[in-house]
Amino acid sequence: VNAETVWAFPSVWLWSQSSLVELDRFTVIKWALWLLVGFFGVFPGIVAYMVWAERKVAARFQDRIGPNRVGPLGLLQPIADAIKLLTKESLVPRTADQFVHLLAPVLILVSAFLVLAVIPFGAGLAPVNLPSGMVYLVAVSSLSPLGIFLAGWSSRNKYSLLGAMRAVAQLVSYEIPQVLSTIPVVLWAGSLSLVTIFDRQNEFGWFILSPPGLLAFMILLISSIAEVNRTPFDLPEAESEIIAGYHTEYSGMRFGLFFLGEYMSVFGVSCLGTALFLGGGSVVPFAPFSEFPMSILGPTWTASLLVNAILLSVFLVKVLGFVFLMFWIRVTLPRMRVDRLMNFAWKYLVPLAIVNVLVAAVWYELVLRPGPAFYASAWLPGGLVNWLIGWLVTGPIVLFLVWFVIWFNGRVRTVADEIPSVTHGPMVAAAAGAR
Amino acid sequence: MRSESNHVNQSLFVMISALGLIGALGTVLARNLVHAGLFLVAFFFVIACQFVFLEAEFLAAIQVLVYIGAVAILLMFAIMLTRNVQGDDTTTAPRGVIIPALATTLGLLFVLAFGISKTAAWTQSSGRPAIEVVKPGEKPSARALAVNEMGRTVGNELLTRYAVPFEVAGLLLTAGLVGAIALAHRDALEEAAPPRGVAARTGGSPNGQGNGEAVLASGPVSSSTPSSGV
Repeated sequence: VNAETVWAFPSVWLWSQSSLVELDRFTVIKWALWLLVGFFGVFPGIVAYMVWAERKVAARFQDRIGPNRVGPLGLLQPIADAIKLLTKESLVPRTADQFVHLLAPVLILVSAFLVLAVIPFGAGLAPVNLPSGMVYLVAVSSLSPLGIFLAGWSSRNKYSLLGAMRAVAQLVSYEIPQVLSTIPVVLWAGSLSLVTIFDRQNEFGWFILSPPGLLAFMILLISSIAEVNRTPFDLPEAESEIIAGYHTEYSGMRFGLFFLGEYMSVFGVSCLGTALFLGGGSVVPFAPFSEFPMSILGPTWTASLLVNAILLSVFLVKVLGFVFLMFWIRVTLPRMRVDRLMNFAWKYLVPLAIVNVLVAAVWYELVLRPGPAFYASAWLPGGLVNWLIGWLVTGPIVLFLVWFVIWFNGRVRTVADEIPSVTHGPMVAAAAGAR
Repeated sequence: MRSESNHVNQSLFVMISALGLIGALGTVLARNLVHAGLFLVAFFFVIACQFVFLEAEFLAAIQVLVYIGAVAILLMFAIMLTRNVQGDDTTTAPRGVIIPALATTLGLLFVLAFGISKTAAWTQSSGRPAIEVVKPGEKPSARALAVNEMGRTVGNELLTRYAVPFEVAGLLLTAGLVGAIALAHRDALEEAAPPRGVAARTGGSPNGQGNGEAVLASGPVSSSTPSSGV
């Protein structure tokens, strides 16, 4: 046994991203490390500093300074906040359902954590590579409406219940376009595994770089913001209307769990969007070069360390961009009205997402299935020709679809508006006569 | 090694099944409607665990998605639409129903136990091989395909062998949906048809479509009012 192969042994595991799990000691240690370092250390830390970043970003947008008292640039503020939350008394209303009141934030937090378990952060850096990872992801994220509902119900407070009902209606509605918008990715990758989706994007380029991919990404972005209850979709916790919505009766660390769960799911959907559409940790979006960090991956320890360093940092940069976009939207847009919220999900996003699956199939047939050498001409590589043809065919279709959905819904509204102008006629005339 | 892991699996199976039984009993016996719903969620989750035991993680995820993510939520919503929002003090079943219900349940249990033991699945399940590793260049067995690519396999089966039951189930669900909308719509129409003078004063058009978004906003309220009296 020479030194080189000893060092190479773990990286062979890093290199081969098999979905079959051998339950040996090595896997157990790997999972224990993921739990202790990732899920109890790094992810909550990222969440804590996301809160700090949000306060700083919002402050800059509103021409303020933001937290700057605790540590340089206020960098120790999250720690101070965490200590404050931990030491505060946790008040539970006497009439509340004690067990369910405790269960609800735990359920939300568990749902937010479990989503992260299938995200491929790097080469071999997916905690678990499930062959049906996408379905798992949708399933665990569908647990959070139940937690929110139970939180509102168990508090015995009408504002809590109102917030919970709003939340469940919103989450159930926006879950549908969110799931439908991931179908094109599954179709193109031919697999439900997020690791395979990452590999396919290395092969074909980022999935966002196609008209149906762009549309699906936009739908995913909008419905993800709605799924994590952030402005402009923060009706469930609208403080100017229903105090704090479903977590009105929570204080101390139980409220802290809600807070942690909410920011954790913001991080989770950002990771999901990055892994599905932005090519995970790959650097260049276009096809032959998108393999870049993975292409220098070899069976040596140093190569895989280097590749994973690149992949992880690029992944984190993309996630931060995603998160920044959410902050930006939050400080820019006002809250939506409840009927418009529902209309937007059911009349705009759902039809677009459904038809977009068909357009995605067209893109698959034109660009991905023929492979790089099909329409090769003398002066252009085949992949590029396919890609151009795909854009020329699906681009107008997608534009037409978006225009059609907007036009159709706008048309319905103008017809409805005309009727009151007729029926209000006598009233207006009477008012004018009285004057 | 094999027998040892089998023992671990067996004891895990027994423990999780016991949890499932507790969940099922709790669903029936809980006095509070929402608690009963929660016990039902626990039971659904145990079913998902059983799917994992059968190496069917795809079905486990679908189980969680459909039954916990959709059915349980709808159940809670339905409870919220009743008058008894807190779910307390559910009335006990009338005395005359208990005996027939017990008889039906025991009969169903008997039929299920008889049917399952007849197919001899109990004895075969112990000696199944573990997940097979497919070597390159070798045709994967049907079992390896089903385990490693369960999403694809389920999709294929649904669109070929089980196409008719699948379509029938879809038709049934659509019929239920249309029926529910028809019932709710009729209630809303009866509610929204005030006397003539009132309609003229508020500017509501006779078909309930007018007044633009004001009707849209008040529509769900008026349609939920009758059902809250149920």
